[in-house]
Amino acid sequence: MADPKYAALFLAESREHLRSCNDLLLEWERTPGASEPVNGLFRAIHNMKGMAATLGYSAVADLAHRSENVLDAVRSGRASGTPELIQLLFKSVDALEKAVEGAQSGKGEPSAKLLAALDKAAVAAGGEKVAAEASPTGAAGSPAPGGNPGGGAPGAARLPARAPAVPAGHLVGVTIRSGVPMRGARALLALRRVEVFGKITALRPAVVALEREDFDGRFSFHLRTGTETAAIEAAIRSAGDVERVAFDADVAVETEGPVVAARQIRIDLHRLDTMMKLVGELVVARNRMLELMRGGDAEQAELAGNVSRLVSDLQTQVVAARMTPVSEVFDRFPRLVRDLGRDLGKQIRFEMEGGSIELDRSILDELGDPLLHLIRNAADHGLESPQDRQATGKPPEGKILLSAVRERRTVAIRVTDDGRGIDRDAVLAKAKRDGLADPAADTLTDDVLLRVLARPGFSTAQQVSGISGRGVGVEVAFARARSMGGSLEVQSEAGRGTTFTMRVPLTLAIVRALLAQAGEERYAVPLAYVAETVEFDPQAVTVLRTREAVVVRDRVIPTVHLRDLVAAKAEGVPPRRPTIILEVGERRTALVVDGLLGQQDIVIEPFDAPRGLPPYVGGATILADGAPALILDAAALV
Amino acid sequence: MSNTVLVCDDAIFMRTMIGDILTQAGFEIVGEAESGLQAVQKYRELKPDLVTMDIVMPDMGGIEAVREICKQDPDAKILMCSAMGQQALVVEAIQAGAKDFVVKPFQPSRVLEAVQRVLG
Repeated sequence: MADPKYAALFLAESREHLRSCNDLLLEWERTPGASEPVNGLFRAIHNMKGMAATLGYSAVADLAHRSENVLDAVRSGRASGTPELIQLLFKSVDALEKAVEGAQSGKGEPSAKLLAALDKAAVAAGGEKVAAEASPTGAAGSPAPGGNPGGGAPGAARLPARAPAVPAGHLVGVTIRSGVPMRGARALLALRRVEVFGKITALRPAVVALEREDFDGRFSFHLRTGTETAAIEAAIRSAGDVERVAFDADVAVETEGPVVAARQIRIDLHRLDTMMKLVGELVVARNRMLELMRGGDAEQAELAGNVSRLVSDLQTQVVAARMTPVSEVFDRFPRLVRDLGRDLGKQIRFEMEGGSIELDRSILDELGDPLLHLIRNAADHGLESPQDRQATGKPPEGKILLSAVRERRTVAIRVTDDGRGIDRDAVLAKAKRDGLADPAADTLTDDVLLRVLARPGFSTAQQVSGISGRGVGVEVAFARARSMGGSLEVQSEAGRGTTFTMRVPLTLAIVRALLAQAGEERYAVPLAYVAETVEFDPQAVTVLRTREAVVVRDRVIPTVHLRDLVAAKAEGVPPRRPTIILEVGERRTALVVDGLLGQQDIVIEPFDAPRGLPPYVGGATILADGAPALILDAAALV
Repeated sequence: MSNTVLVCDDAIFMRTMIGDILTQAGFEIVGEAESGLQAVQKYRELKPDLVTMDIVMPDMGGIEAVREICKQDPDAKILMCSAMGQQALVVEAIQAGAKDFVVKPFQPSRVLEAVQRVLG
């Protein structure tokens, strides 16, 4: 039986898709020549097909597939949106709705008449094209895209195979010998060998899982063919390293066994999130308890100490359970860069370092998108064409390096290219036009450069040749890094290349923070960004350009007064005040506060930022004594 | 008549090793290529029964070469030679038309098994 959570997700998403299908059909009916409704319909139905196939809802998958064939014919210009065709699709959307609602109970099978009509429409538009699309070893047409609601979790692969609605052919189960290398590639080879006999459907696990080697050596599929099983088996075995081939009834039994490894279990991420939240609350309660029990007798102190230690250990373990190597995200990029290189006509050597470094799962999940943008930018805009490279004495092959490094309590993830570097003059001109840079400035610091690049819509500046398009990606990476309490930096050198550094905390939920006071209020500064604390000496104040600055160990560091920032009253300011040196990458700021109140583990409480929230606030927390405090965003202050 | 083989690898070491394994098994090495580009040219000249193809090579990699060769001769019998961990590339090579693959470090018996499968 399908996991109820996936089933619920499938139902919710499919209903949404069906709603939009109806809207799109109406729009299409009004403007039969338009391509947008067709593309939208195709996407929606394709998504439903993927989900349904993953869950073994063969009636939905089959109907969606046939509808998709018809839409594909329209999309590729082999058929047109006649009133009859649109009417047929209205009917199939209705039938899809029934099939979706009845999927779990196995009801709602579409009528044979409708299926036949869809096939007829597709065949009339050139059936051979349709059959080719279902090739499982081709890049497209796999049942996976948008499907797997577990976000790549291969759990769905364990669902028992259900007899598909297609009558002719065989259900085939194959086991690749254990202990041989690249069993996924071997499986794909086997699929290629049987492709010649007929159409492959209901492949489980999905092609992407096979490509990633994310399976236990067993896979099954339905082959629509009239070929004898002996011939099919021989073809599969000719792929090599095949241990077992089973057909039809034998397959279902075979794939239902438990696949869970002896010493590992899969845990639902939500459950881990809940555990993390509970541990967070426990930490707050512990801090409060320690505060209340201060001054108690020896026995109480010992008990408090014990509980405190246990909570710390528990916290460490829960955090550890969430730690995942960054290679989980990195590993999808080599393929992407290859494809990019081919599309762009560039030779790209892609290297990765630090894949084993671990990050909290929830942070990792947020990294894929921004890294994708940064890598795409590096390939597209950073690297020159082989000809241009050779003209400037560089090897024709450009290099992109994706690396992860632990730096204090953060992880720095860098995308480095050895391309042309960002055209600072062009960006500077643009920055001046937009009022982001001093009109008299003749250079552009990396900081200002980043600020310009990260401006929404920057990419629309066509005049800025060679970097147009950078904006979107940088904007995404910048916003994402900030939202996680991290930062984004850029270093670029003309002719030598560009490096973007995304710095993120190891874990999101609980961080160690330094508590500072300004006026009546207390503020938390995440320790990850605290380089040191010094004493502010009004005598040592100097001026850096137009800003006040202090000299700390021969380095001039601009100051920010927390009092000014939060508009606290200027009464009773002690002349010599503690100063927190914040450090984000290369940049430093001296944050002058009224007092330091020590360190504490704080739990970052998510809260909806009402409009007008100052940028220096990164979140909120509850302190040990139960009072709320704001968390300062170091990246916004330096 | 023995089957003819074109061995493509940018490392002399690997070419020698594959050559030895196949020669001892009665195959005739008719040519060697040290780049994808050479592989495509030599395939055209020599029309070998079998090609062993390294994946990572200078001047057009092995996968690109597979694609080119299969474009000219869809029945070309190409055996990919891959290193550990190149799963994604092997998958791509299969999609490009490679008929089988072996994973380094080579065991002569596994190489010959794969060769038999490709030629069979």
